[in-house]
This record gives sequence, structure tokens and C-alpha cells, in this order.
Amino acid sequence: MSKHKHFHNSSRRKFLGQASCAALGSTTFFSSMANMLLANGLAGANSSNTGDYKALVCLLLAGGNDSYNMLVPRGTAEYDEYAATRYDLALDQASLLPLSPLTSDGKLYGLHPAMGNLKTMFDNGRAALVTNVGTLIEPVANATEFFSGAKNIPLGLYSHSDQMQHWQTSVPQSRDAIGWGGKVADMLKSMNSNQDISMNISLSGRNVWQSGNTVLEYSITNQGLGVEGIPQYQPWLYNAGLVDEIRQTAINDMATKMYSNVFKKSFGELTKHSFDSLEIFQDAIANVPPFVTNFSDHYLSQNMAMTAKTIAAQNELGMCRQTFFMTFAGWDHHDEVLNAQNSMLNTVSNAISEFFAALDEIGMADKVTLFTISDFARTLTSNGNGSDHAWGGNQIVAGGAVNGQDIYGTFPSLDLTSPLMVSSRGNIIPTTSTDEFFAELALWFGVAPSDLHLILPNIGNFYSVGSGSMPLGFLPMV
Amino acid sequence: MIPLYVLPRQNTIPLLLFLLMSFFPVVAQDSLIILGSGNYSTMTVNTSDNNGNGTGTETVNGFGLLPNLNSSSRFLAQSTLGADMETITATAGKSYTEWLEEQFNTPISASVQQYTQDITVAALDSTFAAGGDPNLIAPQRWFWHSAWWKYTMESPDILRNRIALALSEIFVVSEMPQLDEVPLSLANYYDMLLENSFGNFRDLLEDITYHPAMGLYLTHVNNPKSEPSLNRFPDENYAREIMQLFTIGLYELNNDGTRKLDGSGNFIPTYDNYDIAEFAKIFTGMTYWDTFLFGQNPQSEQSFLMPMQLMNNWHEAGPKTLLDGTVIPDRNPVDGYADVTDALDHLFNHPNVGPFIGHKLIQRLVKSNPSPEYVGRVASAFNNNGSGVRGDMKALIKAVLLDPEARSCYVDDPFTGMLREPIVRYTQLCRAFNAYNLEGFYRSFMGSFYENTLQRPLGSPTVFNFFQPDYQPIGDVADNDLVAPEFQITNSVTILGYAKELHYWIMNEYDVHEWFQLYIGEPYNLNKTVNIDLTDELALGTDDKLGELIERLNTILVHGQMSDETKDIIMNTITQLDETQAELRVRLALYLTMISPDYLILR
Repeated sequence: MSKHKHFHNSSRRKFLGQASCAALGSTTFFSSMANMLLANGLAGANSSNTGDYKALVCLLLAGGNDSYNMLVPRGTAEYDEYAATRYDLALDQASLLPLSPLTSDGKLYGLHPAMGNLKTMFDNGRAALVTNVGTLIEPVANATEFFSGAKNIPLGLYSHSDQMQHWQTSVPQSRDAIGWGGKVADMLKSMNSNQDISMNISLSGRNVWQSGNTVLEYSITNQGLGVEGIPQYQPWLYNAGLVDEIRQTAINDMATKMYSNVFKKSFGELTKHSFDSLEIFQDAIANVPPFVTNFSDHYLSQNMAMTAKTIAAQNELGMCRQTFFMTFAGWDHHDEVLNAQNSMLNTVSNAISEFFAALDEIGMADKVTLFTISDFARTLTSNGNGSDHAWGGNQIVAGGAVNGQDIYGTFPSLDLTSPLMVSSRGNIIPTTSTDEFFAELALWFGVAPSDLHLILPNIGNFYSVGSGSMPLGFLPMV
Repeated sequence: MIPLYVLPRQNTIPLLLFLLMSFFPVVAQDSLIILGSGNYSTMTVNTSDNNGNGTGTETVNGFGLLPNLNSSSRFLAQSTLGADMETITATAGKSYTEWLEEQFNTPISASVQQYTQDITVAALDSTFAAGGDPNLIAPQRWFWHSAWWKYTMESPDILRNRIALALSEIFVVSEMPQLDEVPLSLANYYDMLLENSFGNFRDLLEDITYHPAMGLYLTHVNNPKSEPSLNRFPDENYAREIMQLFTIGLYELNNDGTRKLDGSGNFIPTYDNYDIAEFAKIFTGMTYWDTFLFGQNPQSEQSFLMPMQLMNNWHEAGPKTLLDGTVIPDRNPVDGYADVTDALDHLFNHPNVGPFIGHKLIQRLVKSNPSPEYVGRVASAFNNNGSGVRGDMKALIKAVLLDPEARSCYVDDPFTGMLREPIVRYTQLCRAFNAYNLEGFYRSFMGSFYENTLQRPLGSPTVFNFFQPDYQPIGDVADNDLVAPEFQITNSVTILGYAKELHYWIMNEYDVHEWFQLYIGEPYNLNKTVNIDLTDELALGTDDKLGELIERLNTILVHGQMSDETKDIIMNTITQLDETQAELRVRLALYLTMISPDYLILR
């Protein structure tokens, strides 16, 4: 008879070993670490357990956010340069929300006018921006180097599918199916007492970032899909429970039988994974009390709400480390970029702010770091009322652990004759690599400096592990 | 006649079979494929004798044999959106070439746009009749979905509709983010795909380029020429995607679809960003057909029912350099149509198109990982249909479906097959069991279906389709360096979601579609729902017929490839219900068949 009785409330089981992150001894950790390394061939074993819960939340702004209209030069000289380049895509100088970074490069900056809530978080030291970050294999100093052929350049520049993938792998010299979040999970998942459910939870289905060699994401939706099972069969019938039970048994039996065909086998494994995790997940989040924070109706906010709820169930789920992934799509603004960003950046700002307000309620805001990624920034110049595919751009980091109220990296000149421009359309070579951006997040999350190259193979081209400081500084050294 | 193909990877098996067949004269033709659904390695032959006492030998002899059923069922799973037993039987009686010719000669039976308009009118009329204000009724996304279902359920040109759906996943236009407000535009686009399914690829490319739905979706409608004084340049969106996704892809290909290498062993990009900028100039000046003002927004749904016009005074003047260095001349006066014609001819004649599009079509219809030889044969048919014509869609379709690699099942090959995509699972159920509505009105909201499976026609989240051709799920598929595109939308949400949808369709009994009100206040009754017809199956719900029931489902849905183990699991499950619950047994057997990996992986 089935052990999966999720349709009977009475049979909710408690699995063994709820999380007690602080009590996890290093011996246990290193031995499971060694087992895992044996399994997937990774070499290092130096990552340490800080004995505390942490979560990374990756928000993909899919399509390519025009992020030089998210973080905008505000002082007169730099604004004029911006406005001359962006022309009909330039925001009004007076509309920009003034930022006062703790570290100044001598210029003034503002945030998009629709991002009031994010500005508040910035001002309160709980959000920061990383500027002109993008996919790189090695540093490329200027357009001359770019065109010289002497430097390795990311595959498929300006192509959505490629750049979105590279942002999730940080290995832009190839098209890898394994993401850096997946590799981190391969390395750190043994910190979690519960190995029956993935430490990588996706609100947006399958994604590269959370795919590891041994880890597959568990997908849920903010509506609870993936958290609820098959409806009961005609519950008013005398043997309805029997029907549900024998059906579930048959599904499980078909999923777990040995298939020689790799596609059948893979589908069977996914089916088993889905039904197994379902039961655990349902149990764990069933008793999470509602948040006082009022989440907006937009699906991004609702995804944040579900993420906060899952984090609240961290102990019940047996999780000391978790990652979350969600996509907010629709940023490919070849058209209507100004109107669209007005509404979409507002959505982002509100969702992030609501998320951390909810985490404050449960005392978890310091343990969770959210960061945005996006395919690329867009051409600085206009195509009429939109912009096209470019390269380096600006991203958000937020959370209680973040050294907020600052802009990390070097904000570039927006003059079309700048040596960083690889096209007269205004495509800027990134001056900070995704590796530096992600290394910082990985180190904070618990990856040992000496293991960093296993997660981010190009990191040595940008950051010296022995430097004693974080690559960018937006998170504290652990 | 179906030729007996001897394939290098398993050449011992057909030979063995041939020897066996010479001892037992086979009445039925095409026996190779019948046995292809059995078990080659031990030569087990399962009887399809309806009397329940047949033997393998008798089957090979033709006793009680239903010739070709599994083979034709499998062929129809590749070439249609689903087939019932009647169609499977009828198709078994003819060669596939003959069947394809019949289908090629079946005219388009109806217009999805017309169906969508009919529903719109019905909504307005019934609103008025019910005392409501028709002016408050906006066209709805589900009008188009219902029209699509009507076409899918009723049209006799079943090959054409399968090809059109495949094309809709290659030349992607989506209801998101805007076109859901213009359901007629989606219907018109789908009609355009139907019309071009058996035509020439060059015409298809032209119709896609000028279609206003595409113009809005990839933003080349109202795309003006550059104005350097304003730092304004042509929109690059369509220029990029027509190359990356619709014609040539990112890298130069050999005819067999493998990538060419340069002297240093690197892949050779087909274009760079300069080429994008050049092509962007070509796709300037287009606007809606029914306006005199460039830049004007669409005036109504009518704006989407005719190809875009090209206004030369908004088209980029000057020469444009194409990929091989040839130059579109500096036409004076400016002639945008001629520029577009030159550019489309140029892309159409690029040697990548055959292998690039051929590979995509194989992946939609037959298998995820075709051999280079298969792709090469398909590409060659695209390059030349035998009469010197390039881009003949009929030749392309024939090459995809009749290739030995499509016709052989490779039952012992662990690396062959494809995951059926959710929308096709859904149509296969509806068509195999003749989903019907008494009024011929296939109301389908497709809301819960979309949430649970991440698919509905013309509903892709991006121009990259619901899934990408090179997607590799981690695990055995990636470890063997294979791809499985449909796994990109296969996750815990959609696996549980499909299990739920199946429950609604099969176990819940009442409506296989999602009913919606045509007008506010419309009462619900069962005559308005869409139901599957299980009459023939329900006759097999008694104790003595359950084996037959499973074999029938096996033939219709699994093409004879259901393993003994899966059959046992289903049998052991439904026999836990007694004979008084015969209907439930049938429904449960159907449910379990459709959720079994044996069904879900089409081989």
C-alpha cells in the first residue's frame, strides 16, 4: 500500500531530524561532504558550516532590464551626458529618487522614480546596487581589446537564450546546463538534515541556476501548485479513498520501475521526486502563521509571499541552507520601455520591500540575501521608443546582511565615445564580472574561499581568493 | 508498400524477422512494424487475438491479427494531434505515402479566424438576447482557444493541423504580453500557418515577416528608419530573431546539422552584431495596413487581419550589407518591399535553413535526438524536392515522417524517443476518444490547463518557445549528451499538474474542457460541456475483458509499446475494483495509461 497518503489529513507524517542548524557538528558535515564529493567528483572539502540558516533568492528579470534607467546619473554634468545619449529614453532629472551612497565617486545618482520602496531600503542600509556588471570570461579593458581578438569573449553576446544562461552559470565560454546555484547546492546540501526535499526551491519551474550535478530544484507556485496533490476521486463515494490510494500506488510503481530508456527513466524519477516532495512540503508549510505584511496582487509579490512562507517553515523542512529562484518576465523592451519600466520597476521595488517586511516579522531578514540578474542591459540609444540588446548593466542586492546604501563597482561613462562602448548604439563592456558578484554571494552563503573555483571556474581572472577581502564588499566576510 | 528497412544499428533483427516470416506466410503486410512493437531480442510475439486464446505463432500467421494497427497508431501520433481507433484502422489499410498524399490534397477545411468571429458574434448576440449590453463584451482570449479546438476536433486535414502546431512553436507569436486582447490576430496567424503548412518555406517566411501579430510581437511594426541626430537607430529585435530562431541559427551548419568548424576547431558564428544592425535597417517602415500614419497604434482587431504595409518614407535608405558580403543596392527611390524581398531571399537560400528547420521539425514530430544522417536526408529534401524546388514543405514533411529513422521504433535503443508535450497529450486524449459537444461548440478556457502544464497554443512565455531545442535535463539525459526539450517544462508543478488535469478530464467525468460563460448569467448544463466518448472501452470493463481493455488502450495510445510490467500494474490496480464499477475501471485504466512513462515517451 502506498506510503504517500497526502490525501488523508490524518496521515501527515513528520520526517526525522528537523533542522537544528546551530547544532550541526562539523564532523557530520565533513563526512557527508566527503560522500557527496565522492559522488560528483568535486575536489574541495573546505567549505565550512557557520551553523546558521541562510537563504539566497535569485530574481531573474527575464528579457534584459534597461538598467541604465534604473540607476541613473543625477548630477548635472553626468545627467547631461546621460540625457544626450539616451535622448527620448532619458528620464527627467527632477524625477529621479536621490541616492546618497556611503562611498562617493564624486558623482550623484538617482533611482528610477517608481522605486520608492527600494530607495527606502537603500537609505536604511538594507539594499545596494552593483553597477555595470555582466558576463565576462576575463577582464576586457576597452573596445580596442574587445575587437583585437586577444580576449575571450562570452558566447552569444546579445542573445537572450545565451546571456540568460551565462548569468545563471557564470561560465560564458560554454553553454552549460549546470548553474552556480546548483553547484553550491551540490556542495552545501549536506548541511540540511532533510535530504528528501531539494534545498533549491523554484517559483518559476526549471532553471539553469538551480541545476546541479546532484541537485534538482523543487518547483512550487504561489498558488500552491506543487504543494497540493491530485484531487480526491468523488469523495462522496463509499470507496473513494480506495480509488485514490490504488491510483497513487500505481503511479508510484510505474514511476519507480526500472526503465532502460533514459527518457522514461528521467520522467519516472521526476514523478517520484515530485510526489515525495509534495508530502513533505505540504506538512511543513501547513502550520506557518499568516504574515501581517500585505503582499501586492502581482505574481512577483505573491512569489515573494510563498518564498517567505517557505523560509518560515525552514525548521520544519529541515533546511539550514536554501536557495530560491523566481522569474519576472517581460523586460525585452524593444518598444514602450518607459511606460513598461514605470510599472515593472515599481512591481520589483514593492515585491522586494514586502518580502523583507515579512521576513522581519519572523526575524529572518538578516539571513536572507536577494539579488537580481537579467540577460543584459539595453542599448543606451533609442530605436524610437525602445532599446535593444546590450551587455553590462546594474543589479540590486537586498537583505539584512547587505552592506547597503552603497553602489558597488564602477559606474561607467555613458558617453557614446567612451572606450568601453563596443557599439555606437551604446553597448557597454562590463567592468565587474558576474563572477565577482556571485563569489560574494557564495562566500557569504558558506562556500569556502578555497572551493570558490569549483563554483565559479573563471573567478581567478577577477579576484584573488587570498586577498582577505570580499570581491566587492556588499556582504560581510564570514 | 512499406519498404523493409535494414538499419545498421540493429540489422540483425529485421533479418531474423525476415527468416521467420518466410516460414509462416504472413497475410498482413508491413509485419516488420507490427513486430516492432513487441520484444525483438527474445522474439516474443504477443497475440492480438480477440478470442483470448491466440498464440504468438498464430499472430505471426495472421490469425485474429489486426494488421498494422500499432504501426499506424504510432505514425498518426507523429503526424496528427491524435487519432481514434477508426482512423487508426483506416490508415492501417494504406501506405503512409498514400496517406500523406491524401492529406496534402485535403484542402483547408475551415478558418480558425472565422470560428473565432462566430464565437464573438455569438457572445454579442446572446448578451443582447439576455438583456445585457453587447458593447461591454470585449473579445476574449478563450474565443480563439475554443475556435482552435473546434478546428482540431472537426477538421479532416489532420496532418495540416499537426504541422501548423509545430510551426507555431518554431515561428513563435504569443498571446503574451499583449495579443491576448486581440484573439483574432492569433486566429489569423494560425490560419496563415495552416495555409503555409504544405506550401513553400519562402512564402511562409514572407507571410510571417509581414504578419501584424509578428510585427507587434517582435516589435518591427512601426519601426522607423534611423535618425542619428536623435541617437535613434532601427529596432534590432526582428532582425535578430528571424536569423537566430526562424532560419539559420547561431552557427554555420553542415547539411547534416552538425556545426562547421574553422581552422582552429571553433564553431563559426553565422552573424555578428554588425549584421544585426544591417538587417535591422531592412525591417523598417512597416506599419498596419489600415493606417495612413506611420507610428499609429492599431485601430481595431481589423488591423491584424491583413499583412503590414511598408511606407518607404519610413524605410531606411542606403545600401545594406548581407551576411556573405553581398549588398542590397542603394535603391533610389527607396523601395522597402524590394529590400525585404532581397533579405528574405538571402536568408532562405542560406545553406543552414534545411538542417536548422529540418532538425526543429523532427524534434516536434518524431524524436529529440535525430542522427546527423536523418537530419541530412531531411535537409536534402528541403534543399531540393526532387524537382529542383527548394523549401517545398511537402517534401520536408515527407522526409521527416517517412525516414527509416522515423518509421523504426528502436525498441531496444535506450536513447531514442521524445517526451510528448502537454498540449499534444491533451489533443490525443480528445481526438482518440472523440471529445464532442452536442452544439459543436468546444468551449475551452484553457486556464487551469495552462497553469498546470505551462502550455497552450500560441501561449509561449517568450519567442524561444515553451522549451528550447537543446535543453538538457540533468541526470541520464545530459550524462549521455542528449537533449530533451520538453523536459524544460517538466517539473514538480507540471508533473503534479498533469496528474490533476488528467483527473479532471478522465476521472471527473463531466467536462474534458474548461467551460466558460458565453454571456454573463448564462446557465450551465451538461449539454454545453465537452465529453469524451468511451462507449467502446466501457464494453470492456467486465472481468473477462480487462486484458482486452488494456490492449486497446495500448494500441490507441501507446502503439503496442506498453511493457508487460506496466500492463500488470494497471491490471492489478483496476482489479481491486469489482465488476459493479466497470466504468471506473475503464477510466482508471485510461488515467494510468496516460500517466505511464510508456505512453509519455513517444518512441
